[in-house]
Amino acid sequence: MKDLYADRFGSVEDIQKEFLDAGYIASTEIATAVFIAHNLQKPILVEGPAGVGKTEMAKTTAAMLGVPLIRLQCYEGLDESKALYEWKYGKQLLYTQLLKDKLNELLGDADTLGGAMEKLHSHEDLFFSEDFLEPRPLFKALHEEHGCVLLIDEVDKSDHEFEAFLLEVLSDFQVSIPEIGTIVSKTKPLVFLTSNNNREMSDALKRRCLHLSIPYPEPELESQILRTRVPELEDNLRDQLVDFVHQVRALELKKAPSTSETIDWARVLVLLHAQHLDEQLVHTTLNTILKFQEDIDAVKELTGTLLAGDKEAGRKAG
Amino acid sequence: MQQVLQDFFKAVRSRDITISAAESIEASRTLDLVGFADRKVLKAALGTTLAKSWDEKQRFDECFEAFFTFDSFQSDSEANHPEAATDSDAQPSSEAGTPDAADGDAPAEYEGESELVRMVLNNDRVSLANEMQRAAQEVGVTDIWLFTQKGIYTQKILREMGAQQINEEIAGLADRDCPRAAAQANLLRRVRKHLMQQVQNFVEQQLSLYGSGTSKRLREEFLMNARLSNVERRDFHRMHEIVRRLAKKLSDTHAKKRKQVQRGVLDFRKTLRKNVAYDGVLFETFWKTKNMDRPRIVCICDVSGSVADYSRFLLLFLYSLKDVLAQIDSFAFSSHLVDINEIFDEYPVEAAIEVALKEGGGGSTDYGQMFEDLKSTRIEHADNLRNIDHRTTVLILGDARNNYGDPRTDILKLVYQRAKRVIWLNPEPQVTWNTGDSVVNQYRPYCHLVRECSTIKQLEAMVDNLLKFSLAG
Repeated sequence: MKDLYADRFGSVEDIQKEFLDAGYIASTEIATAVFIAHNLQKPILVEGPAGVGKTEMAKTTAAMLGVPLIRLQCYEGLDESKALYEWKYGKQLLYTQLLKDKLNELLGDADTLGGAMEKLHSHEDLFFSEDFLEPRPLFKALHEEHGCVLLIDEVDKSDHEFEAFLLEVLSDFQVSIPEIGTIVSKTKPLVFLTSNNNREMSDALKRRCLHLSIPYPEPELESQILRTRVPELEDNLRDQLVDFVHQVRALELKKAPSTSETIDWARVLVLLHAQHLDEQLVHTTLNTILKFQEDIDAVKELTGTLLAGDKEAGRKAG
Repeated sequence: MQQVLQDFFKAVRSRDITISAAESIEASRTLDLVGFADRKVLKAALGTTLAKSWDEKQRFDECFEAFFTFDSFQSDSEANHPEAATDSDAQPSSEAGTPDAADGDAPAEYEGESELVRMVLNNDRVSLANEMQRAAQEVGVTDIWLFTQKGIYTQKILREMGAQQINEEIAGLADRDCPRAAAQANLLRRVRKHLMQQVQNFVEQQLSLYGSGTSKRLREEFLMNARLSNVERRDFHRMHEIVRRLAKKLSDTHAKKRKQVQRGVLDFRKTLRKNVAYDGVLFETFWKTKNMDRPRIVCICDVSGSVADYSRFLLLFLYSLKDVLAQIDSFAFSSHLVDINEIFDEYPVEAAIEVALKEGGGGSTDYGQMFEDLKSTRIEHADNLRNIDHRTTVLILGDARNNYGDPRTDILKLVYQRAKRVIWLNPEPQVTWNTGDSVVNQYRPYCHLVRECSTIKQLEAMVDNLLKFSLAG
């Protein structure tokens, strides 16, 4: 298997090209960030609204580099035992029961408590060895011989304690397990942390990472994304759709439609064999891009003007 | 190369983006990787290493654009050059009889004695720009941080560039008493003026690059200590920013406390329950945790003329702290108590404050009536949840000037007995308390805390105290 850092990317354009081949349109910012992260072996903190392709970016990078992707989903209350490792208590108990006789045999000839203890100590610490360790994502990532892409998703949802714990992992790529010792990664994983800006991350964490913020894409870029993702979509419909979505984003909504939702909508329109957007069609399919009833109602009211705006914009462009 | 990067860091730092030593090392490593070839890539690369939030990114982009475009001589349009400007602005100022002839001839014949003059006359912008850069670096223009320093840096750079020689040449030419010399002297004066303008522009750019942070900081320092009623409308925006930042700081420090674990006390029941699966062997232990109550606040703001400005900032402060506060229940009053909670639900904070101030205002101040209303809505109201109880902190902002009416201290006493704390904030300086119709002393026994609160700093200290107290208790 290839090593994570075996091939170095020559330049930012190379990365952009490779991303494109993998079906992901990367802006200069995204490609540059990946380029630097890969060369300097630094983690990237990716911020941006939901659905602009933060997670997808990590997935594509993993596919591109030919290494496994290990994902750690953060949530409130996530702690070390869920993120790093856990002892297999059940197995430990089971084994002590099963091996009772064996233990008795071993300790049988010791007549004092001290002697038995001594004897026990002469054997290695079997029950707290890696056999009884349940590896969790972070542990797995450090253990991966050829490196991997580690995706720490929605790190803003985790607690302050966990964030502090991450600092050790991210700066030295090592963790200490009291019973076993320090585990150092063989090949530093390429780390992506994503955040939806639920809360501000600490300065310490930010300092250890490169920072990349992905906004909603510009119309051109979005149109390009749609072209690669939904090639069946006809050109004029695509332009109309992108225009419409961009106008919707400018409105005051609870949750503006993201790129992934635009793609979904495009797929729906292809399924319905739509030729162009009209009011009726928008009304029936609006729920693919908007996820709150209030938002849907608000946009429904405005559909007419939004579509008209489209045409005007189209005429101006034409 | 290193120098350019250092200067760039300075410029970025002046825009309130902190760059640690580690980050600067990183940035130079990044630079080695991507090089200067592609401007867009360079911007993205430095951006990812230096700017660490969305907000910083915006400021970084601005700074990048400003930093990597300056070059005043090259970007200069022809019109500013003395030779091109001869027709338009030189004529009225030249007192010589035949300026046209003199101006036309002089540049061609007059070579100038100093290097500098030759550069200007030959329109050699690249050398001039280089020379100015060199001079600027020599005098350390990147240390500029206040607009009052513009003059001195301009002079320093000019001197370093050798402007002194121009003066001497002018003096030399003026001594000779012939029209040609006079015309040449005129030309030189224009050269000097042009040069000066260029350097001034340059220094101004440098100031906006390196100094914007400090003047802003000074202004903020001033605002922090200014009496809130003296803050001018044009500073409101900045003030809001300050308040929001302070509020964020406070909410960050106090947010952590909520989950403090009381160490050392074993939660025996939970531990046993969890370890039944392990045959009663205590594998996993659970410690008792104590959940801190988030404070509930009832905030009553006097919005009559003199106090309205203070109310504005108190409300702004409290609503910026929404995350740490469980509930804010706010009222405005001048005579009758007006519930302004709905306004805050409906509008964004800044707009809501304006509406609330308007709604509550009008009529003469009547604290007695206010307490009466408070009693009926928050003490004896049927809906128990909203009533003032032992978890509630009551904040009253007002000058306690009651127009000689009945102060109704009996109701405040009732509030004092029920609430966790009653805090009275008085925007007036302490010496004026109890003068005229002010009845602070009558209310004082029924407050846990009476404070003067007239600047943002005092407000911050008060809110800090409020949070600390309610979280610790």
